[in-house]
Amino acid sequence: MDKKNSECHVIVVTSGKGGVGKTTTVANVSTSLAKMGYRVAVMDLDIGLKKLDLILGLENRVIYDIVQVIEGECTLKQALVRDKRFPELHMLPAAQTRNKDEITPEQVKDLCSQMRPDFDFVLIDCPAGIEQGFRNAIAAADQALVVTNPEVSAVRDADRIIGMLESAGFQDIKLIVNRIRPDMVRHGDMLSIEDLIEHLCIDLLGVVPEDRNVVVSTNRGEPIILNDRSSAALAFNNIARRIIGEEVEFPTFQDDSFWDRLRGLGRNLFSGR
Amino acid sequence: MLDFIKKIYTRDESSSRNQANNRLRVVLSHDRLNLTPETLNSLKEDIIVVIANHLDIDGSPEVRLITEGRNTALDISIPVKGR
Ligand SMILES: Nc1ncnc2c1ncn2[C@@H]1O[C@H](COP(=O)(O)OP(=O)(O)OP(=O)(O)O)[C@@H](O)[C@H]1O
Ligand SMILES: [Mg+2]
Repeated sequence: MDKKNSECHVIVVTSGKGGVGKTTTVANVSTSLAKMGYRVAVMDLDIGLKKLDLILGLENRVIYDIVQVIEGECTLKQALVRDKRFPELHMLPAAQTRNKDEITPEQVKDLCSQMRPDFDFVLIDCPAGIEQGFRNAIAAADQALVVTNPEVSAVRDADRIIGMLESAGFQDIKLIVNRIRPDMVRHGDMLSIEDLIEHLCIDLLGVVPEDRNVVVSTNRGEPIILNDRSSAALAFNNIARRIIGEEVEFPTFQDDSFWDRLRGLGRNLFSGR
Repeated sequence: MLDFIKKIYTRDESSSRNQANNRLRVVLSHDRLNLTPETLNSLKEDIIVVIANHLDIDGSPEVRLITEGRNTALDISIPVKGR
């Protein structure tokens, strides 16, 4: 992808179910893209329950918010917070004391068209749920990333969201599976990547393992992608590389490999004695 | 389709992963069709009544949804008595 002349991609990160890792994904994928030199803006549309500023470690730099921009109290430029660690990364903060139904899909579309000329990527952090906040978040997006966890409730909500995105005309919907634990999959105690793709029938963009480092970097307000010993960091960097069109192999978290089955067989034989 | 059915039955049915898969198949096909278990049940009963008008039913009939990808099919299996 050509950094200077390519058009802007607006990507919404959504899930239906809360707490599956949307904000963590937005924070790390956008940081990774900015680190590669792309001009990136993140838009926090979780109005009333904002978290992106905290996860990015930018909470002390926020002056204005998105609702103030929409209501004309400040300009878009004034509200955008620039990340000093990654000069290409900008955040448009959510309002904390307002409600999701105080802005409309048209206003979000309007804001996005103002941002398109200045950025290569705009990532939108969508709130949980399927109500107004969701409709606002998907209104301006060209592509959608659906984040899910390998759990029945999260998969059911993801399926609902995929149906709604399809009805809204989205053609580019991709799946991110977060918090997978390969050991549990191997023991038959967690849905595998293959299972999830079979249920949801959309293309896979990334697989992020459960990783304690996520909590540690969230505590510090530092993006995890800077930690080169973290498996989640590698996964988020890989997602960013796939977004810019690189072919990146999926590391083998696979569950059904010959060796695993053989090992499983051995385990059953021994436990049967 | 046959492969798909075979795959369901050859997995270790008791693992929690497979229980999750089986439950998800049912729930997602119902969600997508906006079909409640009650509606499916009354559909089942209606089908059985129609068949019973013409044939002798032998054993327990089965009517269920099976899903492959985003496609869902109604799978009806009704054993009938021959002479
Ligand atoms: N791969 C991971 N490994 C470990 N913990 C994770 C991982 N991904 C996310 N978490 C943790 O899960 C919690 C929820 O993550 P996050 O806030 O990103 O979810 P969300 O989908 O944005 O939630 P909400 O719906 O409330 O906006 C956080 O505490 C985060 O640290
Ligand atoms: Mg969030």
